[in-house]
Amino acid sequence: MKKTKSRAKQMLLASTLAVVSWSGAVQAEDAPGMFRSEFLQGNMGWPEVTAKARAEGTVNFYYWGGSDIINLWIDQVATPALAAEGVTLNPVRITSTKDTVDVVIAELAAGRGEEEGSVDLVWVNGENFFSLKQQNALWGAFADRLPNSVNFEWDESDPRSLLNLRDFGVETGLQEMPWSGEQYVCSVNRAHVPVDQTPATFAQLKAYLEANPGKFTYVKPPHYLGNTFVQSVLYAHNPDGTGAAPYQKSFEELGGAELARLMEPGMEYLKSLEPLLLGGANGSPRYPENSDELDNLFLNSEVHFDCKFGVFANHNGLITGTYPEQAEEMIFPVGNMIKNKNYLTVPLNSPHPAAALVAINYFSSVGAQASKLQAAGMPVGLDLWRLNDEDAAEIAAAAPPHYGVTQQELDANIAPDTNASLVDVIEATWLAVIERKEDKPLADIVAQVSGELNN
Amino acid sequence: MMRTASPAFMQNLRDVVEMTPLLVVLLGLFGGALVLGLLQSFGYAPWFGINEFPTTRYFERLWLSSDFWFSLGLTLYYAFAATLIGLVISVPLSIALSKRFKASRLFSALIRLPLMVPYTVGIALALVMLGNGGLLSRMSAGLGLIDDPSQFVQILKTHGGCGIILVYVWKQVPFMTLNLSAVLARTGDDTVEAAMVLGASSRQIFWRVTLPQIMPGIVSASLICFAFNIGAFEAPLILGGGYPDTLPVLAWRYFQDANYAFQLQGMAVVVSLALVSGLFLAAYLQGYRRFERARGRV
Repeated sequence: MKKTKSRAKQMLLASTLAVVSWSGAVQAEDAPGMFRSEFLQGNMGWPEVTAKARAEGTVNFYYWGGSDIINLWIDQVATPALAAEGVTLNPVRITSTKDTVDVVIAELAAGRGEEEGSVDLVWVNGENFFSLKQQNALWGAFADRLPNSVNFEWDESDPRSLLNLRDFGVETGLQEMPWSGEQYVCSVNRAHVPVDQTPATFAQLKAYLEANPGKFTYVKPPHYLGNTFVQSVLYAHNPDGTGAAPYQKSFEELGGAELARLMEPGMEYLKSLEPLLLGGANGSPRYPENSDELDNLFLNSEVHFDCKFGVFANHNGLITGTYPEQAEEMIFPVGNMIKNKNYLTVPLNSPHPAAALVAINYFSSVGAQASKLQAAGMPVGLDLWRLNDEDAAEIAAAAPPHYGVTQQELDANIAPDTNASLVDVIEATWLAVIERKEDKPLADIVAQVSGELNN
Repeated sequence: MMRTASPAFMQNLRDVVEMTPLLVVLLGLFGGALVLGLLQSFGYAPWFGINEFPTTRYFERLWLSSDFWFSLGLTLYYAFAATLIGLVISVPLSIALSKRFKASRLFSALIRLPLMVPYTVGIALALVMLGNGGLLSRMSAGLGLIDDPSQFVQILKTHGGCGIILVYVWKQVPFMTLNLSAVLARTGDDTVEAAMVLGASSRQIFWRVTLPQIMPGIVSASLICFAFNIGAFEAPLILGGGYPDTLPVLAWRYFQDANYAFQLQGMAVVVSLALVSGLFLAAYLQGYRRFERARGRV
């Protein structure tokens, strides 16, 4: 009896030891951050990633859910396609990407580190990416390591790679993958504006508004759509005539005084435009808070123009009924239609990083990009010259139509985005000069707001 | 001695135990947030890489700008106006509803309807009806009264705040009425009838009998509504006149900015707002206590 008891004890001990050592081994392999460092060092093949992704099972995709047709595409096309790869896509539709950036940073601050967060994948660009990067909240340089990375230009010697490597002038460091390339395009309501009166420059816009006061407005900065409008005004009014070129530098490189000198004519133009904007005649111009509000004004003929990021915004607006029936695209402002890309990125504390990579690889495929273009009217993020003829033809066939302009005309009027460090200063200057109507020399205002920004 | 102390002690213990869930929530969630907010407004946010604690710079920057005081004025104006108008409507309404008349039940049920509807729906209704792209403006344009909908008289999105006050009143009148009706039902008709028998006019009855009787209801209802109005941000954001915004909207804008340095400035706004509303509510309660003391009720 005693013997059996002690033997049982021994066996128990042995099995406990075995369990402990086995789980120790598993832990070593699955230690938080292990997958990240192994993958980023190139020690892991794609089959291993997909195997781990299937084990993880789910990918929590946080993205702006304000577009029905994008949501439909996610639910009807992307989710089944990823399910076929063994990954369940969990779409979390948000109203503002900033909220998700807040969640990630708050989690990290609360000590929820690698693989302990809640966000796997975020649709992001510009300031929000800059914030994540600044707070060291990004997963790593994965963008050129996926099978579908071949669809993108990563060679820095090719200037066309800049759209993949710079996000609002901030180096992406391959920490985000281009998803879509957008352009700031304005639409015009042909029910009110005949072709020969359609403005192509800011001077012509002002002339039109002098004849038709109140029929234009733009989204209020610091919303990125408002910032973009202001940037295109600044490009067009660059006193040196060099357009967007100086705005590619960072604030440190350019300096406050030089920035103020460059901005002066553009800000003067915006000031002179104020009384001609919607509601400006009563002394209180109305700036919509977001693109939905502007769409409503446009649909209701309160304004005759609607500017936003969207190569196919006009088409999407017509099929969803958010644009008036006679809406057409216009080439405005000539040569300064800002183009940028938006991206997919993985936060540092993503709980399912392998599944996130598999999802990004899927989103970067020719098939996914073509169907997204066709169904959701989202331009492709990949670079067409990297594709073979067959794939390029698939993309071309999927493109929705343009109205009143051609893709060639849109491509011919591209301007780059403004450096993210300048965007902050420019938006703060707009708030000071236009909103608060501070009556000081521009150089002083720029110096003041940049001081407040950098504390 | 021991025998009497022990039950009292047990009672105290029981009270504490019963209060614990509430205390945990109050101290843990509310108190914690308050402390965090205070710390941030004084420059403590190491999780954003900012730690200048203690600095009063954020308050200085805020309080030294004239726009802050304009924003504060707007915030107080919307809150006061909506609460006052709500009271002026709901006091007579609750008195009328306390009497039985034909269809009085149906009527009081109808009045309670907005209680069930969220504020945002009320805001949406205001936009749909009164906005420059709304039903009224389109109808006037359709009837040829104006050339196009944008010429319709601007009701929403002005600093006058008609839309904001309207939504608050629409939503809060049923709440106030309900509160006052409860007080009226409790006090009963006896004193009113006695006053009538003694020959008081209806005006005298209202000012001398009914109003003092429902004062506790008025105070609690207006306190709750005022506290809500001063801190609410959806209505001023959507229906307000834009810059300068009310303080809650100003704070929201700071929190929304992609630059995290602004979060601390936003916290300074929130703390200032809490200070102001706390002061007003304390003064109001103090005044009410004095009133009650004068009447010998406390």
